[in-house]
Amino acid sequence: MESGAAMSRAFDRIGTWIGWAFFADLASGLTLTFGYMFSRPVTMEYPDKEKWLPYSRYRGHHFLKRDAEGEIKCVACELCARICPCDCIEVVPYEDEKGNRRPAKFEIDTARCLFCGLCEDACPADAIALGQQYEFSSFSSRDLVIGRDDLLGKPGKATTGGGVVAARLNTKKDVLVETNEPQGYNWWRNIRRT
Amino acid sequence: MELIVALGLIVFKVALLIAILLLLPLPLTWLERKIAGHMQQRMGPMRVGWHGLLQPVADGIKLLTKEDHIPADADRFLFKLAPILALAPPFVVFVAIPFGESVSVLGNEITLYVSDMNVALLFVFAVIGIEVYGVIFGGWAANSKYSLLGSLRTCAQMISYEIPMGFAVIGVVILAQSMSLLDIVRAQADVWNIVYQPVGFFVFFVAGLAEAQRIPFDLAEAEGDLGAGFHTEYSGIRFAFFMVSEYVIMVLVSVLTVILFFGGWNGVLIPLPPVLWFLLKVAFFVYLFMWFRFTFPRYRYDQLMAIGWKVLLPLSLANIIITGIAFS
Ligand code: SF4
Ligand code: SF4
Repeated sequence: MESGAAMSRAFDRIGTWIGWAFFADLASGLTLTFGYMFSRPVTMEYPDKEKWLPYSRYRGHHFLKRDAEGEIKCVACELCARICPCDCIEVVPYEDEKGNRRPAKFEIDTARCLFCGLCEDACPADAIALGQQYEFSSFSSRDLVIGRDDLLGKPGKATTGGGVVAARLNTKKDVLVETNEPQGYNWWRNIRRT
Repeated sequence: MELIVALGLIVFKVALLIAILLLLPLPLTWLERKIAGHMQQRMGPMRVGWHGLLQPVADGIKLLTKEDHIPADADRFLFKLAPILALAPPFVVFVAIPFGESVSVLGNEITLYVSDMNVALLFVFAVIGIEVYGVIFGGWAANSKYSLLGSLRTCAQMISYEIPMGFAVIGVVILAQSMSLLDIVRAQADVWNIVYQPVGFFVFFVAGLAEAQRIPFDLAEAEGDLGAGFHTEYSGIRFAFFMVSEYVIMVLVSVLTVILFFGGWNGVLIPLPPVLWFLLKVAFFVYLFMWFRFTFPRYRYDQLMAIGWKVLLPLSLANIIITGIAFS
């Protein structure tokens, strides 16, 4: 029994040596890369042809919400400004005609924001959230300070997402990746993972 | 009159050869980047031209318009000489390379080689040896540690691998009873040398990988540990010279492998034009080079030396002895 196990181990080792002599290890490496060469690329042709749609949990550009009457939800409590680790929210309250506390000024310095989403969690009025927009680069950091009215117009959370859609890079006016399809093929499904 | 025609023909052939070899790196860089991309599940160049086909042209324009910088303490003469020394020999070697038998154009027999030397093989190895000077001078003249280390490695590598490479082809010479590349190909009309000389092919190909400084033997420019090795300090057009030289040598080693061991333009089974057969085989070996590059890691320096002296050299010597006994 004992010697049988030793024998088979010795055969194993001899087999390994024979494999080395005929470059079995190199050959298996070559077959692997050859297989990958004819597999589907996992990268996206991002600005030119394709674009990734973020999931609804994605933390992109902030947006401010309105309630059912179309009024801004924010009550200017400044809790978001307090909790923000980067100190990038500035809220100045005022009292409107109906006697509600509302923000006169609401500015987010997205150049400093780290997109932690704490402002969204802290808000008692469910007024601020981080949406799906992720393309807002700029040549000047001053342009990245976004005011209240701009924030109200920003796109909200994604409803679909997790896919790649056809897109087109438009540099006419601004650098913009345009897309009009709501949903694309599932990118993760197509990754070869071995 | 006949002399002028013959002379004109040679000038035409040489000019054509130089033009082809100078333009060859353009598609090859594209191919290499595409193969690299797809092996790593990327797409490679996609943005300039259809599937990035014009990318090499864009790169070429970029290299031509970049500043040609010479380091302050460099040896200016050697620094300028090195790229030319690296570029010229691979081109010169192609003078002795046959691409096929003659074809008839307008009733005239035109040979598909510039010259049929009776010692072509010797010529090839002698001239290709000069290329090392370009690398050594480049590394030395730049007055940089990375470059110097790169060229030191190249020195050692070339000396270690040129010997087994030279020995490996002796078996082929014994079989063909000639050093002319044309005769060597003709001798393989029925059976390719790979059948008789598998060990010779193995030694030649591994040494050829080292000669072309390709992975797994690209220690001279190991970008992981030496910046860019011997051409760290080169920029612009001089850098382009080194790149072109590298690609031409890669093609050269492929061509030599095909001529010496894979029957040159002799085909099997499928009757294709001989030149096409030749090009297909060369293309396969060029692909093999790139395939290796994106599969294997780089050997350590001591491993490189051990492979050269302890494996390839004894193998090539044994190959000579066995071939000599079997075919005398
Ligand atoms: S996401 Fe984080 S860093 Fe950005 S504004 Fe909100 S709390 Fe501040
Ligand atoms: S967004 Fe929310 S947390 Fe911030 S001030 Fe308005 S109500 Fe308060």
